[in-house]
Amino acid sequence: MIDLAEANTGLWKDIVTEDMGDIRKCYNCGTCISGCPAAEGNPPLLIRRLVRMVLFGLEDELLDDETPWACVSCNQCMEMCPQGVKPFEVGLAIRRWQCREDETYIPPSLPELWEIGHTQSVHKQGELRKSLGLDESPPSVVTDHESMANFRKMLKETAIVKSAPYMFPDEEE
Amino acid sequence: MKYGLFLGCNAPAIRPDLERAMRLTMPELGVELVEMEGYACCPGYGTFPASDEIASLAVSGRNLAIAEERGVDVLVECGSCYSVLRHAAHNLRHDEEKAKKTNELLAIDNKKFSGTSQVRHMIDVLYHEVGTEKIAQSIKHRLDGIEIVVQYPCHTLFPSDVMGFDDPRNPHKLGELVEAMGAKVPRFSREYQCCGGAGGFAARSKKEATAFAKKKFDAIKAETNAEAIVVSCITCLMFMNNIQTDFGEGWETIPVLDYNQLLALCMGFDPKQVCSIGETLKVPAEPREKFIEKITKAAVPG
Ligand code: SF4
Ligand code: SF4
Repeated sequence: MIDLAEANTGLWKDIVTEDMGDIRKCYNCGTCISGCPAAEGNPPLLIRRLVRMVLFGLEDELLDDETPWACVSCNQCMEMCPQGVKPFEVGLAIRRWQCREDETYIPPSLPELWEIGHTQSVHKQGELRKSLGLDESPPSVVTDHESMANFRKMLKETAIVKSAPYMFPDEEE
Repeated sequence: MKYGLFLGCNAPAIRPDLERAMRLTMPELGVELVEMEGYACCPGYGTFPASDEIASLAVSGRNLAIAEERGVDVLVECGSCYSVLRHAAHNLRHDEEKAKKTNELLAIDNKKFSGTSQVRHMIDVLYHEVGTEKIAQSIKHRLDGIEIVVQYPCHTLFPSDVMGFDDPRNPHKLGELVEAMGAKVPRFSREYQCCGGAGGFAARSKKEATAFAKKKFDAIKAETNAEAIVVSCITCLMFMNNIQTDFGEGWETIPVLDYNQLLALCMGFDPKQVCSIGETLKVPAEPREKFIEKITKAAVPG
C-alpha cells in the first residue's frame, strides 16, 4: 500500500518546468499509451501512470522506475495528447530528475560522447569506408584535435559533467 | 541548392553505404553537400536530452552554429537526429532564457547560435526542393511493375507543429518519392506503425519489440506483394533489416533500403558502394542481391 501522507507533494515542481505543458491538466485518458510502442514492453512504459506518480509525489517509486528509459522518442504521444501535457517531454524530464537524484542513472553513453563526440566509433571504420569510396572518417570532431579540446571545454561547464566529474576524465596526452 | 550534410553517428560508423549513396545521389539532383567540419552527435535522446537539458541544447546548438557559420541549412536523414536538432532549434528560437544559457556555454567553444539555419529532413528536401519530376528524370533504371512499401519515420512526423512537412495523420510524401521512380506503393493496415527500433525499448524488451515489429512485417506479407521496404531514417534501416534475423526459421527476408540507396541504384551507381552492408549484419545477402539485380536489369527509360 502506498501511503499518500508520506508523498512529496512538491515533487512535480522538481521535475517539470514552467515552459513544459501543464501536467495537472492530464485527465488520465490513456491516449499517450494507445500509440506508444514502448507500452508493449516488459515492463511497459505507461506515461499516463508516470504522470500520476509525479502529481501524487511518489518519489521513491518514481526513482526506482526505469520505464522512461524505454521510450523510442517517436513523439506520437506529443501529437495525440488532447490536453497538451507533452508526455514525451515529461518522460525526458523524469529521466533528468533521476540523473540528478541518483548518478547511477547517468547514461554510459555520456562518457562515450565526452570521449569521442559520438555514440558510435565513426573514426574506426576506415577500411570499410575507403572500400566504398568514402574518406576514412567523416568530418567529425573526433578527428580534429582542436575542435575536440574546445568541445570538452564546453562540456566541462555543464551541470551534468560537473555533478560527476570522475566520469569525464581529461585525456592524458 | 546547398545544404550542410549532418551525418550523425550511425550512418558513418555502421551503414557508410548509405552515406555513400547520399553523397552520390544529391549532387546529381543539383544539391551541393557542404561538410559540417567538427560536428558531434546530435546528441541522441538517451544521452544529454535525458540528463541535462541545457547541455543538450549546447551540443545541438554547437552543431547548428557550424551550419550557420557556413551559411547553409542542415540536411538530415536520421529521424532521431532530425527530431533532436529540430526540437533544439525550436526551443532556442522561442525560449530566451534557454538560448542565453546555451550561448554562454557555446561561447566557451567560440560559437554562437543565432537561428539562421533551418533543419530539413531528406524526404522534405527531396519532395519540396528537388521534386518528383526531377527525380524521375534523373534515373536510368525504372521500377515499373515492382511493389515497394515505405516506412514513414515517426520522428519526422510528430509533433507536427515542430517537425511537420508531411501530413501527420496521413503521411504520403516518401511513398510519392518512391512512386516517382515507377514503383507501386501499396497501402496496408499497419502502414503507419512505428518500427520500434529507437531508444531503450528493443534493448530492454527484446522479445516484445520483436513481436511488435513482426506484426508489421506479417501485415506487409499478408496484404502486399512488396519486394522491398524503403525507409528514410537510419534507425528504421538498421532495425528493420536486423530484426528479421529474430523472426525464426523459415522467415524470408524482405530487403530494407534507404530511399537514397534505392535512388542510387536507379541512377546506376555501383551497388557495392551504395547498398552492400546487409550481410555483415547477419541478414542473408541473397534477397537483397536479387532485388538489386532486378533493378539494375530494369529498363532504361526513353
Ligand atoms: S494523453 Fe495526455 S491527458 Fe491523456 S493520459 Fe496521456 S498525458 Fe494524460
Ligand atoms: S515518444 Fe516515447 S512515450 Fe511517447 S509514444 Fe513514443 S515511445 Fe511512447
